[in-house]
Amino acid sequence: MIRTTLKQLLAATALSGIAATGAMAEDVDYGNFADYTLRVKLIGGAQYEPLYARISEWEAMTGATVDVLSRKNHFELDREIKQDIAAGTLDWCVGSNHTSFAPQYGAIYMDLNGVIGEETLAEFQELALKNSTVDGRLVQLPRHSDISNLYYIKSRFEDEDNKAAFKAEYGYDLAPPETWDQMKDMAMFFADAPSFYGTQFVGKDEAITGRFYEMLVANGGQLFDENWEPTFNSEAGVKSLQWFKDLYDAQAVPAGALNYLWDDTGLGFASGTVAMNLDWAGWAAFFNDPENSKIAGDVGLVRAPMGDGGVRAGWSGSHTFSITSTCDNVEAAASFVTFLTNHESQMIEASTGLLPTRASVWDAAKEKFAADGNDFLVEVFDTYQLSMSEDAFTPPLIAPWIEVSNEIWPRLQAAILGEMTPQEALDEAAEDARIVMEDAGYL
Amino acid sequence: MANKPPPFWQREKYTPYILLLPAILTLVFVVLLPLLFSLYTSFTGYRLIRPESLYQWVGLRNYERIFSDGDFWSAFGRTIIFLTIALNVEFLLGLGIALLINKITWGQRTLRTIMMFPMMFSPILVGYQFKFVFNDNIGILNNALQSLGLSDGAIPWLVDKYLANFAIIFAEVWMSTSVFAILLLAGLFAMPRDPLEAAKVDGCTPWQVFRHITLPFLMPFVFIAMTIRSLDVARAYDIVDVMTGGGPAGRTELLWTLIARTGYDNARMGQANAMAYVSIILSIAFTYYFFTKLIAARKYMGGAA
Repeated sequence: MIRTTLKQLLAATALSGIAATGAMAEDVDYGNFADYTLRVKLIGGAQYEPLYARISEWEAMTGATVDVLSRKNHFELDREIKQDIAAGTLDWCVGSNHTSFAPQYGAIYMDLNGVIGEETLAEFQELALKNSTVDGRLVQLPRHSDISNLYYIKSRFEDEDNKAAFKAEYGYDLAPPETWDQMKDMAMFFADAPSFYGTQFVGKDEAITGRFYEMLVANGGQLFDENWEPTFNSEAGVKSLQWFKDLYDAQAVPAGALNYLWDDTGLGFASGTVAMNLDWAGWAAFFNDPENSKIAGDVGLVRAPMGDGGVRAGWSGSHTFSITSTCDNVEAAASFVTFLTNHESQMIEASTGLLPTRASVWDAAKEKFAADGNDFLVEVFDTYQLSMSEDAFTPPLIAPWIEVSNEIWPRLQAAILGEMTPQEALDEAAEDARIVMEDAGYL
Repeated sequence: MANKPPPFWQREKYTPYILLLPAILTLVFVVLLPLLFSLYTSFTGYRLIRPESLYQWVGLRNYERIFSDGDFWSAFGRTIIFLTIALNVEFLLGLGIALLINKITWGQRTLRTIMMFPMMFSPILVGYQFKFVFNDNIGILNNALQSLGLSDGAIPWLVDKYLANFAIIFAEVWMSTSVFAILLLAGLFAMPRDPLEAAKVDGCTPWQVFRHITLPFLMPFVFIAMTIRSLDVARAYDIVDVMTGGGPAGRTELLWTLIARTGYDNARMGQANAMAYVSIILSIAFTYYFFTKLIAARKYMGGAA
């Protein structure tokens, strides 16, 4: 009987999605799970929390109670889930997940094909669902996506003196960069350490591996060949790594960049001391908010630069929800994740700049921004929509991805700091990545 | 009427064992079994995310791998250097503080309490505090240096090979010097007055009194503090993880940041346990060394402390 209710609700969601962009949650029956307690583990952090305010609505609607067992950042959540796997304590139903992390969890999450109705799934962007699929199983339902584009301080680029000086020095016009080479020139041109920097980059963990990876692809390289042999120590790899090193040596990025993660780069750009910043859309509203940002009203945005291969960088992934295979009430869990990714939920996340995974939400969000007179966010969504549809690609969706990344990033750092040449660093990382792939059974 | 012997658990010769049983059982379950289990896993290809790999016996492969791994040995060596510097600096500062506080006659208790404040913070918070202090761009240290005109560049405190290690040792010393100060102060309080007065009568200089009476008397306390702190520092993780994460380029990698990354991020628990066993040997070596010193110091004092 619950099954029928769920089918109805799925049909209703799909219908309202087709009929109008403004599908309202209250039109939909999310089932009745009175006296049931749904145990969940969610990703925490400022940008993720607004959505969780809706949990009480779902509770009121279905009579169920939600017990949030943990709310941590993704790296800590990842450790906790690994401990749960080891200890056999997967006694919870719904967990936050990410496309980069999902492949390593094996079969602990169920295939959502058949659990979430086809009509609902049809509302999601095809690419987002494809990236959420591991070994043919849809192990997660995408909540929002990330991809990075280039923010810049407009006034620096519009300044006539800057334009003249740049043209004299580099021989071409100063304008937001189209290629990585141009970006390097401009970053060095603007830099005036320690008070002002041309750009910055996240310098450790999977963050810098990802940046290196997308530049490698943009320059025509690949991490692995078709037989999973590491090939990132190629010419394209060396060129990509050299880009980081040149900027670092020229003091065009902050000296501490190698310890930076996303918060450091976001807050750094908002402090007005950095000319260009490659970042995700989640910061857009923050950068343009006079209370938080010294460059509010002066922020420009273009798509991420292109490499030698004529390809734009587009390292992408999605934050998602998964349901454990051991879940004791799959219907309730499915209702919960459907609710948290429905049109209205995604509108809430979109209003802070997070990129929706339902096709219809893009247009609805832009309409709403335009109606609110927020032209900046309309521009942000236009730019990100384009890059999501044309540039996005994920890291290899394989179980040892994080482990391979952990072999790569310390070597990237070593090359940037001049302890070894880019070629030596990448050769060494490729050798160690090869062992990881061998151990994982890919070679 | 035959005198029936009581059941064996009531016999007098077993009483001590029965009374000790709860403690023994607790030790077996809380310490011994996990130790044996992790020793076993260090001979397997145990991966946290593949519970079935617990039974995949790989013999000495994990050990062979770490012994031939340059990164592991760098972390090992760095841990020893880190330990040596941190313990010595903490000892010297702690001794100085204890001697100074011992001289105060008014407000000593308040000062003792204030001195313990750094110990009350969680290491993670201490890590965040110093991460902010040493930040190259927005950190207060660089800003202060620039405002005072002492530096016109951004000093990369958490990136430079020496400065990054200095910054971490500084945080560690800031947090734990009071352990030494408190223990040494207790030693000073327990010190008999007679030898000091006798020395004064004999015309010893203050330095001679300190060098030949006070210091030897304090040495047993020093070695106790060293033992405790060496175990603490050898498993340093929180502060390092927050401040640099062992980076950049492994420049501040200590044994436990490496072990945590191997065990959790890479999910190679078997290999991580092999590393942990090697690090335990390091801890045992330090503990053994300090205990030998402690016994020697006590002998020297004729069992006075």
